[in-house]
Amino acid sequence: MAEQLRTETMTVNMGPHHPSTHGVCRLILTIDGENVVDCVPDIGFLHRAIEKICENRTYPQCIPLMDRFEYVTSMMCNWGFALATEKLTDLEVPERAEYLRVIMGELNRIASHLLCIGVTGLDLGALTPFLYTFREREDILDLFEMTCGQRLTYNYIRIGGVARDIPPEFYPKCRQFLDKIDAKCDDYEKVLTENPIWIARNKGVGILTEQLVLDYAVSGPSARASGVNFDIRKHDTYSIYDRFNFDVPVFHGCDSYDRYRARMAEIRQSARIVRQALDQMPEGEIRAKVSPKFKPKVGEVYSRVENSRGEMGFHIISDGTVKPYRVRARGGSYNHLLVTPEIVKGLKIADLVAIFASLDIIMPEIDR
Amino acid sequence: MGVNDDKLPVYAESVPGGGIITTQLNKIFTLTQAKSLWYLLFGTACCAIELMATGASRYDFDRLGMIFRASPRQADLMIVAGTITYKMAPVVKRLYDQMAEPRYVLAMGGCAIGGGPFYYDSYAVLRGIDKVIPVDVYVPGCPPRPEALLQGCLEVGKKLRTQKMEDWRVRNDG
Amino acid sequence: MTKEELIAYIQENFSGKIELIENDMAEPYFLVPAGEIVAFSRFIHDDTKLLLHFLMNLSGVDTKEQFEVVYNICSYRHKHRIFFKTVLPYDKAQVDTVIGIWPAANWYEREAWELFGITFVGHPNLKRFLLPDDWDQGHPLRKDWVGRDVIPFPEV
Repeated sequence: MAEQLRTETMTVNMGPHHPSTHGVCRLILTIDGENVVDCVPDIGFLHRAIEKICENRTYPQCIPLMDRFEYVTSMMCNWGFALATEKLTDLEVPERAEYLRVIMGELNRIASHLLCIGVTGLDLGALTPFLYTFREREDILDLFEMTCGQRLTYNYIRIGGVARDIPPEFYPKCRQFLDKIDAKCDDYEKVLTENPIWIARNKGVGILTEQLVLDYAVSGPSARASGVNFDIRKHDTYSIYDRFNFDVPVFHGCDSYDRYRARMAEIRQSARIVRQALDQMPEGEIRAKVSPKFKPKVGEVYSRVENSRGEMGFHIISDGTVKPYRVRARGGSYNHLLVTPEIVKGLKIADLVAIFASLDIIMPEIDR
Repeated sequence: MGVNDDKLPVYAESVPGGGIITTQLNKIFTLTQAKSLWYLLFGTACCAIELMATGASRYDFDRLGMIFRASPRQADLMIVAGTITYKMAPVVKRLYDQMAEPRYVLAMGGCAIGGGPFYYDSYAVLRGIDKVIPVDVYVPGCPPRPEALLQGCLEVGKKLRTQKMEDWRVRNDG
Repeated sequence: MTKEELIAYIQENFSGKIELIENDMAEPYFLVPAGEIVAFSRFIHDDTKLLLHFLMNLSGVDTKEQFEVVYNICSYRHKHRIFFKTVLPYDKAQVDTVIGIWPAANWYEREAWELFGITFVGHPNLKRFLLPDDWDQGHPLRKDWVGRDVIPFPEV
């Protein structure tokens, strides 16, 4: 055709209620046909003022709120907050409690990665991985349930230790699960890793270069899929992670496919850590004596844990009273969503969905 | 002659020749609808993960005939799973308005029922979605177990069976 | 570098302009005057011995007398991190943006502007995003803020 058709860009609103935005996030897209020209995220639909509420609660009362700060890995949120408070009070955590924390934290990481992989499948139109991964996730939730009675918001890791000891039937069930998960990971890989559709949708899509990782402070598996070898458990170690043998999987593809592979590799590593922790775990106390109305010293503290989405940090300022003066919680998804517009420009809307899922963006962490 | 679904085969057989029943349109309509409640996938916070778990392998929403729909136009039931903030409230209202009659709302979890753990001190959380839209069934918990959600959906089905088609029109006008 | 080496190295290069805050945190903590923020940030970002590339956190604090902005920077190459903060008076809460050095500061600064009312000079997009669009009750994370429909937590 000699004369080109006149086209113009269009602004569409994706969300706040959209099944592939993983929560309530609104993306204002400027599109040219199917191609994304611009993407402006609008957040705040889940802003629950957790930071403000914490200023009016005592330290132990803050822990259930931290469950809701990032509910997919609640154990890690409890842990980060407890670590910060323990630093403020110079509290020694009993040996057994440290092991229980590691076991619960790593199981929670597996559950979170399983959720991410399953939901990525769902977003790309494949229902099978979703059903497979949730089957194994339920087994982990059973373990949590027999430990603390909850499936999602645990309130298990407390200041000075953990809430209660694990029941005796936990051990065989946990070992059984660990034996199973490796075989199940092979199954997922059979379904996904070599799957031509999966590769076509993910490989080379959403290139998150190392420069973008640095500029936008992306952390966690998403950064490690871009060649940034940084894992707080290994390089800035906390708790007792220096006692375990585990690798930090690093990939260099920078795309959605490698982010998926990084998560899959982490599941295997987490299972390895749990196995070692079960072997090494001593008997003993599970909680240091802490008064529910204890007063930490005046000061500031920042604690960080390696969450399944990157660094989860808690900055607490204490004025010496029973309540924290200021609590600031920081989650990895914040930076993932911030960097999304940079990597989706020029791609198709369908790719945006794949990228959003592969970065494992969870909204409560962003809005708080 | 009224039809109970568990007695349906008996009625069908008792007519000479079989395969013929007489009933009210209302009864057959609500009966079929209660067996295929399609729900709007409206998860905002923690409860959304439990809602997903309910739809997944172990609990399997499908056996109640429940399939998630991403569009409010195709949904009969809105499961509000999670915290609703003041910024989100107009969106909930709008989605509810977009659903076709008969429409039902299930408030899942403490936050949707009354603000939950964010009732006190929060400047951003709506204390209960019943301030914005009418709610049919409340499922308490933080978050509720999938079994509780399944029970809640069965309750919606029960409520649906007691309704009359005329009511929907009234509800629409009002 | 250890904490002491880090402190010595940074103080050497910014002598007289910054102040060390003594506390028992595991990382160095500096007080940087508001006017020096951009120069200091540029230095610690680019210096090959520091390479503090990751802006992990930026948060506002209301101390009831003044505002503070706390920066938390991490280097993945050298595996160290530092904190620094700047102090701003109540009536003129303004500081230069660091978005040109760490693009990650974008939303952190927007949030501090929205919840505390701290203005970041040069920020391209200081617009409301966490609170509802029709919000008219000021900056909720300030300590003297009183909300219209906030139910206080009952003291036991």
